[in-house]
Amino acid sequence: MNGYRNRFAMLALQNAPLLLFAVLVIVFGLMSDRFLTPVNFLNIINQSSHIAIIAIGMTFVLLIAGIDLSVGANMYLSAAILGVFFVGMPPLVAFPLVAVLGLAFGAFNGFMITQLRVAAFITTLSTLFIGRGIALYFSGNKMVPFSKDVLTFGRTAYLGIPSAIWVFALVLIIALIVLKMTTFGRQVYAVGADPDAAAKAGINVRRVTFAVYCICGVCAAVGGLVSGSQVAVASSTFGFQKEFPVIAAAVLGGTSLFGGRGGVLGTVFGAVLIQTVENGLVMTNANPYIYPLVISVIIFIAVFTDSSRTTVLERLERRKIRVEPD
Amino acid sequence: MTSTDVTAVSKPRAQAGWKRLLLSEYLVLVLTVFYFAVMWTIVPEIATADTLLDILRAMMPLLVVAIGQTFVLIVAGIDLSAPSIIAMASVVGASVLTGDGGYANGTGFEIIAGILAFIAVGAVIGTFNGLCTTRFNMPSFIVTLTTMMFFSGAAIWYTTVHTDASSIGNLPRGFIGIGQGTFFGGLPFSLFVVLVVGGAAHFILSRTVYGRWLYAVGLNPRAAAVSGVPVRRVIFWAFVISGVCAAIASILYTGRLETGTPVLGQRILLDVIGAAVIGGVSLFGGKGKILWTIFGVLFLTVIDKSLQLMGLPIASVFAIKGSIILAAAVIDAVRHRVLVRG
Repeated sequence: MNGYRNRFAMLALQNAPLLLFAVLVIVFGLMSDRFLTPVNFLNIINQSSHIAIIAIGMTFVLLIAGIDLSVGANMYLSAAILGVFFVGMPPLVAFPLVAVLGLAFGAFNGFMITQLRVAAFITTLSTLFIGRGIALYFSGNKMVPFSKDVLTFGRTAYLGIPSAIWVFALVLIIALIVLKMTTFGRQVYAVGADPDAAAKAGINVRRVTFAVYCICGVCAAVGGLVSGSQVAVASSTFGFQKEFPVIAAAVLGGTSLFGGRGGVLGTVFGAVLIQTVENGLVMTNANPYIYPLVISVIIFIAVFTDSSRTTVLERLERRKIRVEPD
Repeated sequence: MTSTDVTAVSKPRAQAGWKRLLLSEYLVLVLTVFYFAVMWTIVPEIATADTLLDILRAMMPLLVVAIGQTFVLIVAGIDLSAPSIIAMASVVGASVLTGDGGYANGTGFEIIAGILAFIAVGAVIGTFNGLCTTRFNMPSFIVTLTTMMFFSGAAIWYTTVHTDASSIGNLPRGFIGIGQGTFFGGLPFSLFVVLVVGGAAHFILSRTVYGRWLYAVGLNPRAAAVSGVPVRRVIFWAFVISGVCAAIASILYTGRLETGTPVLGQRILLDVIGAAVIGGVSLFGGKGKILWTIFGVLFLTVIDKSLQLMGLPIASVFAIKGSIILAAAVIDAVRHRVLVRG
């Protein structure tokens, strides 16, 4: 509107996370010659895959302005059941079964939220405790080692790409198709933008809500499976407080906590960005105590630019009727 | 309380009694008493003076955090950073207090300086949270999520700078007394602190203009702004209050443990928010009372203590606690529906 400078500023704001990512890659690349290598790049994707998978599920929930705090517990429960009960089972049976269990976990959340009308925050807070409790019961509060099949799966690479990344890619593609090309995907956005309007337009809001929690449950279980196959044993803190980096990844990727805005591609980008920072810090031999500091600052910067973009946009679009009250 | 009506002979009146109990703001207290009574038959030790004192002692710091959280919840915000404020304040305060080369050691007023350091940490982090949410329009969930991550990391880093051990010890006796001391033959001193904080908070919410503004902003920020409420300032101060409350809780925790610990309070976040919400404070703003928060905290603490007394493994404690929170939430949801139907 006000000439080129404004437009340039808008462009920068619009792509702030990308710019941030580019700056980080350059800085880490200059500081360590091991950072900018194809092997390390693959490594970053591999390490971020479990967070990315869960965050993809979380994106669906956030898109309808919901929240799921129980993903970490779901992860642990799936991993514990896999390690304790599904020992002799062939992976082709065991892995889908784990996903189904995750679905059941998510369906329970969805049932409480849609049928009993309990707030999502409280529902998933309590299932966080319940899920972790059941998992601890199964594991006997001990380390759960995984069967050989699971470990083989975690170590195998197909076409030079680790299996975790294949799972990640599969989940991403399915999520993209569901969100972009199906009626259900449009309904998710509609419900998130305005549930009342969506209901008036004939969308079954409850069914959509129930479905997104199921999706999130499946993703959490698959994420637990992938993570478990990489770390070989599930300790009693497996997945503990994982809900926070997962939500952070989604928000970093531009998904709004208030629903209706965002997407899975952004989320994946957010998850990879977080892992890139962590990897870069390791590569540059930074003091491990400052990892969380740097990561939180970067998340903060990304969200800060995102919200200032919204503020700028609002200011540009607003008709001046009255002075903004302070 | 209305529970006497339940025994009434005529059916409609009995129903009305149930309904009144369900809608009563003392519902959570009634549930707590009921739960306590049931537990009494299973573990009689729960009704001994020692256990009751234990429950009281465990409640106090949690309550201070929850009171601060109530302010933020009323304006439809959320403060996830409370545990990290507790941790950060604990190590910073301890680094001022400690006899092993603390900043204020030997000056004669180290206890006052230490307490000021605690409060300052809470106020600074609360100010940051408040500024980001009000000036930069960032969602409070994310702002406080990042401050939570940052300061729980920073607290550990700060400790490594000051000592080789995992915590900062050798705190002066007088300070420890705040967390451990008793008065009137056995009542914890922390009770006194909580009474002051709770009384002040109750006064602010129910008797001051600022209190009315908090509710107005939480119910409808637009309408509040149009009617002249300084919305941003109201929200800003809610975060500062929450930060200071967390810092006060940190003083109590640190005094009790006799060391400044960077992992202090790590697990209480969801308990605090859960307690407030169980008490009836709405996550969507505009609804909440200090009394409700107290009931919520009492409810959770009694559950924790009873499960501990029963000697259950951690697995069952988690599962039962989660189920009880869920049950309370379901009752609350039913209550809402009854309320809507009239």
